[in-house]
Amino acid sequence: MAELHKIIANVKEALGVATPGNAHDAAATAVPVSPSAYRAELTSTFARELEEVGGKFVGILTPAEVSSRIVSLAREIGAKSVAIGRGLASDMDAIGEALERADIRIVRTVAVADVERAAMRSRVADADLGIAEADFAIASTGTLAVVSTAERPSSLTLLPPASLAIVQIDRVMPNLAEALAALGADGVAANRLTLITGPSRTADIEKRIVLGVHGPKSLHVIVVWPQDD
Amino acid sequence: MPEFPKADFFESSLAAVGDHDLQRKLESASARHLDHFAQIKAEFPAYEDEREKAHRIKTEAIAHLDELLIELTSKLEARGCRVFFAENAKQARDYIVKLAQAKGARTVVKGKSMTTEEIDLNDAFERVHIKAIETDLGEYIVQLRGERPSHIITPAIHLSKEDIGQLFAEKFHTEYTPEPEKLTAEARSRLRTIFLGADLGVTGVNFAIAETGTLVVVENEGNGRLSSTMPETFVAVMGIEKVIPRLEDLSHFLEILARTATGQKLTTYTSFITGPRREGELDGPREMHVVILDNGRSAMLADPVLREALNCIRCGACLNVCPIYRRIGGHAYRSVYPGPIGSIVSPNLFGSAAGYLPFASTLCGACKDICPVKIDIPRILLHLRWKESNGGHQLKWPRAIERARRGARRFAATARHPRTIRALGRFAAMMLKPFAHNGYLRRMPGPFGNWIKYRDFPRPRPHKRPPG
Repeated sequence: MAELHKIIANVKEALGVATPGNAHDAAATAVPVSPSAYRAELTSTFARELEEVGGKFVGILTPAEVSSRIVSLAREIGAKSVAIGRGLASDMDAIGEALERADIRIVRTVAVADVERAAMRSRVADADLGIAEADFAIASTGTLAVVSTAERPSSLTLLPPASLAIVQIDRVMPNLAEALAALGADGVAANRLTLITGPSRTADIEKRIVLGVHGPKSLHVIVVWPQDD
Repeated sequence: MPEFPKADFFESSLAAVGDHDLQRKLESASARHLDHFAQIKAEFPAYEDEREKAHRIKTEAIAHLDELLIELTSKLEARGCRVFFAENAKQARDYIVKLAQAKGARTVVKGKSMTTEEIDLNDAFERVHIKAIETDLGEYIVQLRGERPSHIITPAIHLSKEDIGQLFAEKFHTEYTPEPEKLTAEARSRLRTIFLGADLGVTGVNFAIAETGTLVVVENEGNGRLSSTMPETFVAVMGIEKVIPRLEDLSHFLEILARTATGQKLTTYTSFITGPRREGELDGPREMHVVILDNGRSAMLADPVLREALNCIRCGACLNVCPIYRRIGGHAYRSVYPGPIGSIVSPNLFGSAAGYLPFASTLCGACKDICPVKIDIPRILLHLRWKESNGGHQLKWPRAIERARRGARRFAATARHPRTIRALGRFAAMMLKPFAHNGYLRRMPGPFGNWIKYRDFPRPRPHKRPPG
């Protein structure tokens, strides 16, 4: 990923276009080449901003690579149980099965009746990793926009100590305004939406930054690039 | 609301000025903050532009506040929220406490909210033996100490990590550690248990979007998310001025709020809350209430100069740059809202007892320069001083001006006679000699006494010959 960005930066410099020190201008200064180069550029900005706020960019993967990468990530962080929600475009069932094959316990979030709520919640809270697909990623700030639904509850990105988000590359937006516009007034009105910019953090003790106060201590992001365009 | 005895402010600010330890903590925190801010500003060329936009949107919103509140209310109610308009702090408190009692609540979790501090909600819960727990780490710390926040963004800014380590060791009977990581982990595990069992959640609101009926809450820790999604009942408390017209306006505020408040591009979590949970959902309350508070704000709206102060988005930047705040800290102001913006809103929210606060300013203008929504704080402070010293009546300007003119004319007449003026100068210096100590006047008779008490005035020395 880092290499790709360097190349694009070099190309830009050669073209005499200033490198976007501020990703805010990413949309305006993007080189008008193929849509895939534009997406790669946005994703590299997103990756840089994500890392700056303490998140970890796992990489751009093809759909086929996702499951095995998640299994190895779960092993790296020593996860014994993983909470997983329903996907948007990603096949979360396949990911869940791959994790189960690797002897990792899976908590699938499904619609719950009020009486089952507490039980489901403590299972999600006890998981070592929560996996959710994000609706959008925002390049300029390294942010994820995640809508909470019955099968993809907000708890997935909040309760477990580690969080993993998957986002489709065509859902990486240049900035906040465009992401909100893509969701639309109706989309925002109808849903519980959360913008997530890095892991949970505080600077309340002598302004020293500490990660993982109430939410996850680590945040990992995979961008999925279907190679059909 | 806490009392604001006038003498108290002078005493507490004098004590704070003498507290060098406090100043060291304030200076290091403010300096670090300003560094972050300068860096962010340099990296964000659109900053000035965004400030201008935010100022425009807020001014427009405040001008149409009535319509926007109606729109917001109908949208919230359509989503199943119950909206309550509270004219004053007591009405808001009573509503929330009665609700908690009706639900049989024993534990209340609170996200960071200055508005609930303003209405003194915690004390109201305590009186009916409901435990209200502050869950923002800084607020949790000051609550454990039985204090109030000293900064609207960093409530525990007046404490060192050693202070906090000792506090935790005492309260939890654990081993002393000054490590921020370990202290944070301790707080996390204690608060997590509380969150999962809490009956009622309360948070403030940063922005309310009229168009969509959405309440937006920004935070870094995740406690706001937990407070608004875990308990069965959730109450959001907001001032009437928090409403903005459209969804598309929001990004302009989010782009500047985090930058000026904490030096981040965006806060870690921004929650968009639209109503109670739907069928089958795990997260969100079964019942959601929105308390919309006036408490003096509509009176500010009615004053054409003061109205601008309703643009405030509570970022706390004006505190960090204020030379007074940086010397005395937040507690000395004796108000929930300290610093320059606090000196403006406090007299209006808490009554004339806080009327001395607009005088606690050098009018240097640093607050105006940093304000992300461009509030002309010095101008409003002067306006409030005028109102305060005027007692609401017509000031006797003509007489004062005439007196000053007469004095100046007399001085001009005397100054034409060098010998007379030198003699008068020598006489004054001689008369002041008994009041001097170490080269400075330390006390003075009559009305001059108060002036000298807070200012250094060098002892006048007679010249043998006129200079020059």
